[in-house]
Amino acid sequence: MASFLAVQGYDPGPSQRPLLAGAVSGILATIPAVPILVLSGALRVESTILGLSTIMTLIIGCAAMALAGAIYARTFGRTANNVHGGWLFGMAFGFGLWSAGAVLVLPVVSGGRAPAGAAALGVALSLLVWGLATGILVPFVHRPFHESLEKAARHSHLGPNAAADKQQPIREQRQQDKG
Amino acid sequence: MIRVVSIPKAVIAGLLGAVVMEITLAAASLTRFASIDLVREISISAIPNSTVAANALAIAVHLSIGICWAVFYAFFVWGRIHARPAIQGLIFAIVPASLAILVVYPELALMRLHVDVVRLGTTSFFAPLSAATIGTLVVAHALFGVTVGAIYRKPVGYASDHRPSLPAPRRRAEQRHRRETHSGFMFATGIECSYPTIDQGRWRRDEMDSTRHYSRWQRDFELAREIGITHIRYGPPLHLTFEGPGKYNWDYCDPQLEELRDVGPEPIIDLCHFGLPSWLGNFQNPEIADALAQYAGAFAERYPWVRFYTPVNEMYVCARMSALDGIWNEQLRDEGAYARAAWNLANASIAMSDAILKRRSDVIFINSESSEFYQPCCPDPNVRKAAAAANERRFLPLDLIYAHELSEGMHQLLCEQGIASDKIKQLAQRKVPRRSILGVDYYEWNERLIDRHGDPLALGELFGWYVIANQYWERYRRPMMHTETNKPDADGAPRWLWRQWHNVQLLHRAGVPLVGFTWYSLTDQIDWSIAMSDAIGIVYPVGLFDLNREARTVGIAYKQLIDLYRDEPDYRACRTLQEMMH
Repeated sequence: MASFLAVQGYDPGPSQRPLLAGAVSGILATIPAVPILVLSGALRVESTILGLSTIMTLIIGCAAMALAGAIYARTFGRTANNVHGGWLFGMAFGFGLWSAGAVLVLPVVSGGRAPAGAAALGVALSLLVWGLATGILVPFVHRPFHESLEKAARHSHLGPNAAADKQQPIREQRQQDKG
Repeated sequence: MIRVVSIPKAVIAGLLGAVVMEITLAAASLTRFASIDLVREISISAIPNSTVAANALAIAVHLSIGICWAVFYAFFVWGRIHARPAIQGLIFAIVPASLAILVVYPELALMRLHVDVVRLGTTSFFAPLSAATIGTLVVAHALFGVTVGAIYRKPVGYASDHRPSLPAPRRRAEQRHRRETHSGFMFATGIECSYPTIDQGRWRRDEMDSTRHYSRWQRDFELAREIGITHIRYGPPLHLTFEGPGKYNWDYCDPQLEELRDVGPEPIIDLCHFGLPSWLGNFQNPEIADALAQYAGAFAERYPWVRFYTPVNEMYVCARMSALDGIWNEQLRDEGAYARAAWNLANASIAMSDAILKRRSDVIFINSESSEFYQPCCPDPNVRKAAAAANERRFLPLDLIYAHELSEGMHQLLCEQGIASDKIKQLAQRKVPRRSILGVDYYEWNERLIDRHGDPLALGELFGWYVIANQYWERYRRPMMHTETNKPDADGAPRWLWRQWHNVQLLHRAGVPLVGFTWYSLTDQIDWSIAMSDAIGIVYPVGLFDLNREARTVGIAYKQLIDLYRDEPDYRACRTLQEMMH
C-alpha cells in the first residue's frame, strides 16, 4: 500500500494543510461516534477501566481523535482527498485504530482489562463510524484550508531554481574555497 | 486519487462474494462442522423480540462488510498481482481472513458476553478459536476472495458498442472573454483524450471518461484559466461524435466547445487521437482518409470560430503502437502493417487539413509528433543498421505530410505494401499549407539505445529536447512548438518542467521559430504507465492537477513560469505566430 500511495507523492503539496484538515475532521467525526459510546455504555466502561471521570474520558478521547484525524490525513496525503474512496480509507483507518487501540493497547495499559458485551460492540462501532465520518469529511473540510494558487505560486523551491540539481555540492565547494 | 475504481462493479463483486461466504458458513453450520455466525447471534441478543429483524440485520451487516472489502480490493489489490483475476482475489483474501481470525472473531465472542469488563490474556482472547472454526473461516474467505476476484475486472473503459453518459451540462461561466486575436507565445496544456481499442477492438479505452472529464470538464477549464494557460489541446471523442457516414453526435462536445469559445483557453482541436470509431475498423483501413476528411469538414462547419487544429495526433506513435507493437487497435506486429498505418494516417491528416481549409482558409495546423531518437550502442554494423532503420521509421509520417523526400528504405517499404510510386510522388509534390506548425513532443523515454540484440532501451534525457527537436527543425524547417511533455514523478516534475523550458528558450535564442510550450496534461492520466495496454485503472501522476483536481507541485511551478514570462517582450508578442495569424 505504501508504494501505491507513494506514486501520488506523499507530500500533499504546498497549497494544502492536511494536519489541520485532518484534526478538524477528526473532531467533527466524534459527533456521530459519541452517541454510540454513550448508548452502548462503552463510555462508562472505558472511563471505569481508565480510572477517569466520564467527562475527562470524553475530552481526552476528542483530543486523541483530533490527533488521529491529523495522522490519517497526513499519512494518506492526496489519497484522503478522494471523495469516492475517502469513506473506505477512513473506515479502514478506524478499523486499524480499533484493532491497535481498543483490542491491543487498552488491555495492556489497563492491566488486562477490556470492555466486553455491549460496551465492546459500542467501542468497535464508534471507531468504525468515526473513521467513516472522518474519511467522508476530509475531502470537503480540507478545501477551505487551501492556500490559493496565487499564494502557493510564490513558493521559491518551485521557481526557476528547481531546474538545477541539488546545489549543496556547489555551496560546499564555496565554503571550502573560503576556508 | 490513487486508483480509478468502478464502485458499481466492486459492489456487485462484494455482494456476490458475501453471498457465497454466507452459503459456506450456513453449510458448515448445517453439517455441524462449525457454527460461527456470531453476527447473527449478536443481532438476536440486540433485537431479542424479532428473529426476522435480527436475521435481516445480520445479513445486511455481512453484505456491507463484503462490499467494503471488495472496494478495498479494487483500490489496493486489483491489477497489482501478476495472476489471473480469481487468483488475485484469492491472494487478497489472506488479509480479511487473517483479521477475522486474529481480531474480529475473538472480539465478537467478547461482545456476546453479558458482562461489561473482562480480564484478558492471550489464551483467553483466542479461546473461542477451534481448528474447525479456523478452517471454516479460511475456506469461506478464500471463496469470497475468488468470487470477488473473478467478478471485479476492467474498471476503466467500456465495451466498444457501449456509449458513456453525455457530458455534464454547462453552468453559466464567469464573465470574461476569450482573446480571439491572441498572438503571444502559447503557454499550453491539454486534456488527455486518447481513445484506442484493446482486446482486438472489443474494449474501448477513453481517457476523458476515466479521468472524469465528461463530468468535470467545466472545472477543468476553470483550473486551466486559473494558472494562466493560454491554449489547451482538446480532442473531442471521435469514436462517439462520428457515428457513421454523414452522421454526427455533437452532444459529446458542444457544451465544452461553447465554453472554450466564450471564455477560453483557446482550443487546439485534436481531431483523431489514437483511435477510430468502431464502424471504421482500424488504421489498416485505406478508407479512413476520406471518412475523416468528411468528419473534419463537418467539424469546421459546426465550429467555424476554431482557429487551431491538430488533424491527427502523433501519427508515428499511433502507427507503431497499433501495427508494430501490437498494443492498440489492429494489434499487429508487422513492419508492413506499420507502413500501411503510417500511410493511411498521413493521408488522413492531409485530407482533413484540406477539408478544413475549404471551410476556413486561415486556420493554423499544429502537427504534433513524438520526437524520438535511436542511438546505436556500439559500432556493430547490425546494430547501426537497426538504429538507422528505427530513425528512418520515426520520420515516415511527417515526411509524407510535409512533402519531404522519403528515405530509400521507407519508400521501398511503402511500395512493398502495394502503394504506387506515383501516389508517393504526388504527396512529395504537394504544397504544404503555409500555416503549419510542427509540434514536437518529448518525454524522458524518447531517446533510446539500440542494444547488441537490436532491442531499444530507454536512455533517459541524454541529448535533451534541444538536440532532438533541432533534428526535426533541420529536416522540415517549419515553425515549431513543444507540444507535450510530462514526468511521472509527482515530486520531480517541477525540475523537469523548468529544464524543458530552458531547452525551449535555448532553441528559441538559436533562431528556431518557436510558438509555444505545453505541459501535458492538465490532470493525471490513467494506465499510461502500461501504455493503456490493459484496463487496470492505475493513476499516472503527470498532471498539473491530480484527479481530485488539487494542484500538484508542477501545476504551481507552471503558474510561476507563466507569470514570470508571459509579459516579457519576446513572449507577449510572438512574431512567428503574429505572422501566421494575419
